[in-house]
Amino acid sequence: MTFRRMTVPLLTALALAACAAEAGAQPCLIFVHGKQTDTNTYTSYTAARNYWVSGANDFVKTATKNFATSYYVVGYNGTRPYWDAQAAGVVANAIVNATNGGADGGGHRCAKTYAQGGTFWVIAHSMGGPVMDYILGNNDASDPNYNFNGPYDQVAQRISLAITVGGAHRGSQGADAVCLQSNILCSFIAIFIQSCDDATYWLRSSDDVQVRTFSNAPAKNIYLTGGYKAIFGASACLNGEDDGVVQYASIYACNGSATASYDNTNVCNNANKQEAGGFRNLDASHENHDEERNASNADTRKAIPDGNWTCGGSPCAPNTTVASAMTTAQYITLLY
Amino acid sequence: MIDAKKKIAIAMVMLAAPGLGIIRPAAAQAEPGKLARDTAKDYREAARYPASSHALKKGEADPIQEKRVPTRQTRRGPDDAEPAISVWAAKVSFEKGQPVDLYATLETNGKAIKNPAEITGEIVGSTGGVTALVAYRDDGQGPDRKAGDGTYSARWTPTGIEDAPAASYMVRVRARLANGDLREAAGGFLYSDPAAHLTGHYRDFLRDGNLVIAAEVDVAETGRFHLAGTLYTLAGEPIGFAQAAANLEPGRHWIELSYYGLIFHDRQAAGPYRLGTLALSTATRMPNALNDVVADAYVTRSYRVEQMRSASFERPQLIESARRLDLDAERAEREARGMRRQ
Repeated sequence: MTFRRMTVPLLTALALAACAAEAGAQPCLIFVHGKQTDTNTYTSYTAARNYWVSGANDFVKTATKNFATSYYVVGYNGTRPYWDAQAAGVVANAIVNATNGGADGGGHRCAKTYAQGGTFWVIAHSMGGPVMDYILGNNDASDPNYNFNGPYDQVAQRISLAITVGGAHRGSQGADAVCLQSNILCSFIAIFIQSCDDATYWLRSSDDVQVRTFSNAPAKNIYLTGGYKAIFGASACLNGEDDGVVQYASIYACNGSATASYDNTNVCNNANKQEAGGFRNLDASHENHDEERNASNADTRKAIPDGNWTCGGSPCAPNTTVASAMTTAQYITLLY
Repeated sequence: MIDAKKKIAIAMVMLAAPGLGIIRPAAAQAEPGKLARDTAKDYREAARYPASSHALKKGEADPIQEKRVPTRQTRRGPDDAEPAISVWAAKVSFEKGQPVDLYATLETNGKAIKNPAEITGEIVGSTGGVTALVAYRDDGQGPDRKAGDGTYSARWTPTGIEDAPAASYMVRVRARLANGDLREAAGGFLYSDPAAHLTGHYRDFLRDGNLVIAAEVDVAETGRFHLAGTLYTLAGEPIGFAQAAANLEPGRHWIELSYYGLIFHDRQAAGPYRLGTLALSTATRMPNALNDVVADAYVTRSYRVEQMRSASFERPQLIESARRLDLDAERAEREARGMRRQ
């Protein structure tokens, strides 16, 4: 009787604790970098980690609320096409490793595994966008490139969602400019893209290289944010608003031409994406392509059509200033 | 680029602004937990269908056509100068043996202008070598049969394929305007040599309350093959999508597209149905080799909506994700309430 008296409250307490643990965990953030001009982020964890850092500014530190949230940094070969084994394949394997409790190259692990009830959000910048599109759009046995070079199905099962920052979902007109080889006005883009290597070739804006030609709608939602701060010279090569490297039509995964001109008022809404479902707008920031991923410029944020900011309980009107000094990394902390 | 000077001015002002903390207008809010809640809702809705088949909403475009209609690549001149140049190919992918038709226009305010220009193209393989040179003309003698309308066209007839079963080609297009200015754009196309073709034989039947349309394929070489089809009503409304993939040996095989029964209930659509678009591809490697889309491939027998299954599929993977997201949302909301109390 005494034993029973003690056991029941103990079991109840344990059950409550288990529930609290399940409900209390924050998602583990998994960071996927963008296009590279060399293989450093593939061969060196430090390079992959530093992709998100500029001096004292650190996207990962900020987005994880000063490392209070667990995280995992992925490095892959950013000179290869988004669909390559050293790109999508490596990223898929790394994400699964993260969800299994494995450590990244710096020894960082997600606090809970998928089996323990953990949740996982992928944060991808630039070319990390089409890499995730390809993985999440080829996760089912009925998809054209199912598990092409990695466990895409497990990635799709285990992550809750992805957020892309300046994602090159429809390629980049900067890549077009570099592969055209002759437009000196676009030369500033060379700083970011450098050459028409394999990755750049597959980031052009024509249909034959677009990720949507080779995949289906993503199995998990991909949320879209990006910058509208021009880069002198480079932005001359891009139609509509852009972050200096990627144009809005691509950042926001718009249907139709990848070179169409958009701004904060008219960028494609959630019903006009490169796939019928799975892509959702968040907002836009006055950051350029570099600032988006190194949290170095706390600046204005604007609402866009179908974005997630609310004003007085309703969606904010497009182009409303929703924050006046906030980096994308800070914004992400508001989302979880 | 839109108003770069204005952007620079705004940037200067913002850089000069004091304060590094998060500042936002009081009225705007990114509601804690909202993203997780919205996502969970999306997943519960999507979970009604299997990954291989779903209903198309009323008015939704045919997803196969959407990806096979070639898009234009448009670039302006220096300092956003017009005219812009737009380039495109007649198709996203050309099957081996077909001529490649290429187009270009010079546009002001989105409309083609008829000023004479000299337009040339370099067709470049994925390894970077120039495969062919083409001259675009507006004399009605090219693929565009209307002379002087401002649409320039060129035709290239490949003699082979760089990388079977498919190769990507970039087209570097340069236009020299009458005043000597240059306009440039990069387009592209796929050239495909698929290892299987549809024979034109189809059959349809019900299985477990789902509509199955089987298409026969003739496989020339072992590989992975993907088939996707959009189903229409006879009135021409697209109502459902299905896809399937299989590894097949040489010979004739049937690939089955299973349209999940709930589609017909959601759209309240009785048969016969028309297989409006059908796309086969060889997906053994990247890039995939795309067969031409077959339009109006087949019309099924009559079916009643009641013959189809009406149960939600309840895809477990999405249901579980939704459950976890709801827990995330609850936690985020709780934390926000706690912070407000402090």
